[in-house]
Amino acid sequence: MFGGVQQRPVVVIRGGDLKRESGKKAQKTNIIAAKAVADIIRSTLGPRAMLKMILDQMGTVQLTSDGNAILREVDVSHPAAKSMIELSRTQDEEVGDGTTSVIVLAGEILTVAEPYLDQQIHPTRIVKGFFMALEDAIHILHEKLSIPVDLNNKAAVLELVQSCIGTKFTHRHSDLMCGLAIDAVSTIQRDVDGKKEIDIKRYARVEKIPGGNFAESRVISGVVLNKDILHNKMRRRIENPRILLLDCNIEYKKGESKTDVDLSEESHFQRLLEIEEEYIKEVTSDIIKFKPDLVVTEKGVSDLAIFYFVKAGISVLRRARKTDNNRIARATGATIVNRTSEIKESDIGTGAGLFEVRKIGDEYFSFIEQCKDPKACSILLRGPSKDILNEIERNLQDAMHVVRNIYLDPRIVPGGGAVEMALSQALLEKSKTIKGVEQYPYQAVAHALEAVPRQLATNCGAKTIRVITELRAKHAKGQNPTWGIDGLKGVLVDMNELKIWEPVTVKSQTLKTAVEASCMLLRIDDVLSGLKRKGDAGGAGEQGNAPPMDEAEGMME
Amino acid sequence: MMQAGTAGTLQIDGSRVSGNDVRSQNVYACTTVQNILKSSLGPQGLDKMLVDDIGDVTVTNDGATILKQLEVEHPAAKILVELAQTQDEAVGDGTTSVVILAAELLRRSDELVKNKIHPTNVIAGIKLAAKKAIEYIKSDLQLKTDTLGKETLLNAAKTSMSSKILGSESDFFAKLVVDAVSNVKTITPSGKEKYPIKSINILKQHGQSAKQSALVDGFALNCTRASQQMPRTIKNAKIAILDMNLNRGRMKFGVQVLITDPDKLQGIHDKEQAMVRDQVKMLLDAGANVILTTKGIDDLALKYFVEAGAMAVRRCTKEDLRRVAKLTGGKLVTSFANLEGEESFDADCMGHAAEVSEETLAGDDLIFIRGAKSTSCQSIILRGANEFLLEEMHRSLHDSICVVKRVLESKHVVPGGGAVEAALSIFLERFAHTIETREQLAIAAFADALLVIPKTLSVNAAQDATDLVAKLRSYHNEAQTDAKQKKYSRFGLDLMEGTIRDNIEHGVLEPSMIKIKYIQFATEAAITILRIDDLIRINPKKEEQGGGRPY
Repeated sequence: MFGGVQQRPVVVIRGGDLKRESGKKAQKTNIIAAKAVADIIRSTLGPRAMLKMILDQMGTVQLTSDGNAILREVDVSHPAAKSMIELSRTQDEEVGDGTTSVIVLAGEILTVAEPYLDQQIHPTRIVKGFFMALEDAIHILHEKLSIPVDLNNKAAVLELVQSCIGTKFTHRHSDLMCGLAIDAVSTIQRDVDGKKEIDIKRYARVEKIPGGNFAESRVISGVVLNKDILHNKMRRRIENPRILLLDCNIEYKKGESKTDVDLSEESHFQRLLEIEEEYIKEVTSDIIKFKPDLVVTEKGVSDLAIFYFVKAGISVLRRARKTDNNRIARATGATIVNRTSEIKESDIGTGAGLFEVRKIGDEYFSFIEQCKDPKACSILLRGPSKDILNEIERNLQDAMHVVRNIYLDPRIVPGGGAVEMALSQALLEKSKTIKGVEQYPYQAVAHALEAVPRQLATNCGAKTIRVITELRAKHAKGQNPTWGIDGLKGVLVDMNELKIWEPVTVKSQTLKTAVEASCMLLRIDDVLSGLKRKGDAGGAGEQGNAPPMDEAEGMME
Repeated sequence: MMQAGTAGTLQIDGSRVSGNDVRSQNVYACTTVQNILKSSLGPQGLDKMLVDDIGDVTVTNDGATILKQLEVEHPAAKILVELAQTQDEAVGDGTTSVVILAAELLRRSDELVKNKIHPTNVIAGIKLAAKKAIEYIKSDLQLKTDTLGKETLLNAAKTSMSSKILGSESDFFAKLVVDAVSNVKTITPSGKEKYPIKSINILKQHGQSAKQSALVDGFALNCTRASQQMPRTIKNAKIAILDMNLNRGRMKFGVQVLITDPDKLQGIHDKEQAMVRDQVKMLLDAGANVILTTKGIDDLALKYFVEAGAMAVRRCTKEDLRRVAKLTGGKLVTSFANLEGEESFDADCMGHAAEVSEETLAGDDLIFIRGAKSTSCQSIILRGANEFLLEEMHRSLHDSICVVKRVLESKHVVPGGGAVEAALSIFLERFAHTIETREQLAIAAFADALLVIPKTLSVNAAQDATDLVAKLRSYHNEAQTDAKQKKYSRFGLDLMEGTIRDNIEHGVLEPSMIKIKYIQFATEAAITILRIDDLIRINPKKEEQGGGRPY
């Protein structure tokens, strides 16, 4: 009886498919997974970036070279890989650019940490060294390597933006796209209490219309809606329109409380119908009283109301999106009204210069443009196909974020891997003054930074090792901090000549995110997976996010 | 030593394990839990990555969180999980050490029981040892914070953080935590100082880096303005805090309105709209320019706010608004109805703040309430690379906040780094010699068990545990025998260098309350498990065949 106990396993933790990896093995697999993620998007860095074609579960195709867009679609289940993917999202939401380099850098930092783990340096030591290096790197970046920009000099800014994002587009369109981005951002920029507010998400909308030529893309100083007016007889072109914005129905609406009507006579029924009509008449006459030329509502408009509006010569758009309505309000100075009986003269927007419905391709679009002081805008993109337009939109979003970053923090650093190499050299120099074991991981960060210029060189097919050693020699002793790699030709070049610049905010965010995330992964010495979730309330909704296990394993090979 | 299955005098449909078997099984289960947690103890402890079956990832160093995520099935091990939970709720820190100590106590006691000492004797010994240990902490080991200077709080916070991901930035975060906790200080009517740490609101927003985290003197709501046309910033804010709908009036409880004259229908509709208009007007007339509500605001009410240049925020959580009310000196209004049956809004119910503004952080909008009358609410905005990191930062910050609160409230600290455990171990060993009964062995076992903490600490730091702990014990032995060397009692491990040093001087401090509680809790848990001598498990009803099933 005594012996029986030892032979039987004592189950402490439930879970049939519970997997545990601990110690060195956990650290190694985490690093491998992180590297795998970095390897996926390595080739999309720089001007010689290759596109990825992604087929998602629904079968739709995405063509992109945007790091975040690629990783969003890739199903991984290894937890470390997941945490890497989150990085690119963070980067995207915070600065909107550098999504690829952050992953490449994080992957590289973990790679250089690996030998130190083998040499039995304690992970907490490595992490400490990394954090020291991060702090110094940020300091050097801001104090020594960044160059201020004069925002009032429009031509200089344009040139700058072009150089920041020029590499992202095919060369023919780069002028156009940079122009669009600058126009859009400078339109929506607003000073609130001395703080600059640039809300690209809300006030700069990209309207993609397949067909036509790239060159036909432009920034509308106003708003474009994918809507047609409700009736043919309404005016399709109005100069200096008075615009009224509503967020209510122009139809008979029921009350909130449950109301029943007890009908005892036939005439009452007739009356009831009349009331509905009278209501609409009243509402429309409220509106007509203010002589608007254009009415935009977020809800519906009944046929009877349309009739009244046609008679009064008012053009009407219905079922506009809330966000569109907000943009129109900001562009024209109108206030969105809910009760027609409370319209005031001040609610009418008069800022727009022209309202016109145009037919583009097969669809009708309403343009509210030539606004006097628009603080919102639409960007009209034309191009051969939907997929290509989507990719252009992503690029344009990146570009707008670059412009925003420059407006918010007008300092730049040389691109083309120059700043990384300069940082790397500065850190190496400084590492000699660091006492203790932390010196090694500190140096490791310096080496990891070289990953960016190296990848640039590799992607354009240069002789990587030769070019990188040359570059390193150029940067020796902190000289020539502006020399980097020409991502098209694969040769060394002074960024002052090539004019490739990047906003300092993007670079510092890249560094911060990459280092912090790798530190988190390095501190892990135990991975327990397949735990049952308590309560099991997740259900099918969340199941969609959880990809099958075997896929990640495939990825890790 | 009986094991009865389906046969025997006791007819049960299930399995039964009793006597030494069940005890060793329990101990085995607890040791397993201990082994999982061991590597996360101390400044050189590492993190665990836990993945549940739908792929959600948690990265953590916190003992309570690790155990919560593990689906522990063994009943004895479950007691340890609950133990960590209790420690977390009661003191907020030291969850890993309490589990490690409890499991170690069990292991040692089990050996004694195997040597034919009755469990009740062992239990009595352990109880006595714990009591003496706590007395000794109170009389000899703990130091009053007043004698140690201002740095004490910062140091205690740093010590608690040192084992976590924030460890490398502990200077920065310790200051954040200490400021936050000191600001929420309130004095109860009876003159006692209280630190309601629940009023410290921690918000997580990814982006930037950990160092960009900030303490906001005031409150941050994770909500956005109801309409984009409202102003983003309002100075001299008068804040109406509501817990009600600003919707079109509607009858509750399925009340129907029955109309016989169709002309009156419109009247009902008008009234519905008028009700909300009047309510809004009442708010605006009272001077409110910021309106926060837990429920909805009808679109038709928005325009009134926009026109008045007021900011309205809907769907805030009730808990948040309670704090806002406390912070700004306002009241959470649940209804406008007054005693006369009329509707009114008292201007006194409004809170005041110097500024309410909406700011965008990494794509999300937050509403900040700054410069209120009191500092009773504080918000900490955490920034970091990704969600997992932020979650872990939140947990470690919470622990540090608890520690600072304990230090402030109990005003006593003890040296960290295994100093207390080593001192107690020496003390209890000496005490054991004075006991003539069997309990002596149990007390000695307790003394031995305590050493698991300094040992694990040094193992995690890749130091020679045996060597270091022996050295540490010799210091404490001297401190307790030689009156001149009393200051040696402050000596603990220096895990970076692998030496022994004065930990009070080097600022490794823990609130004494955490140590006391952890000895209490660990002892109680160990005793609970030790008292078990029979485990009967009834099979699930559906199963046809009963006994003999292993766990």
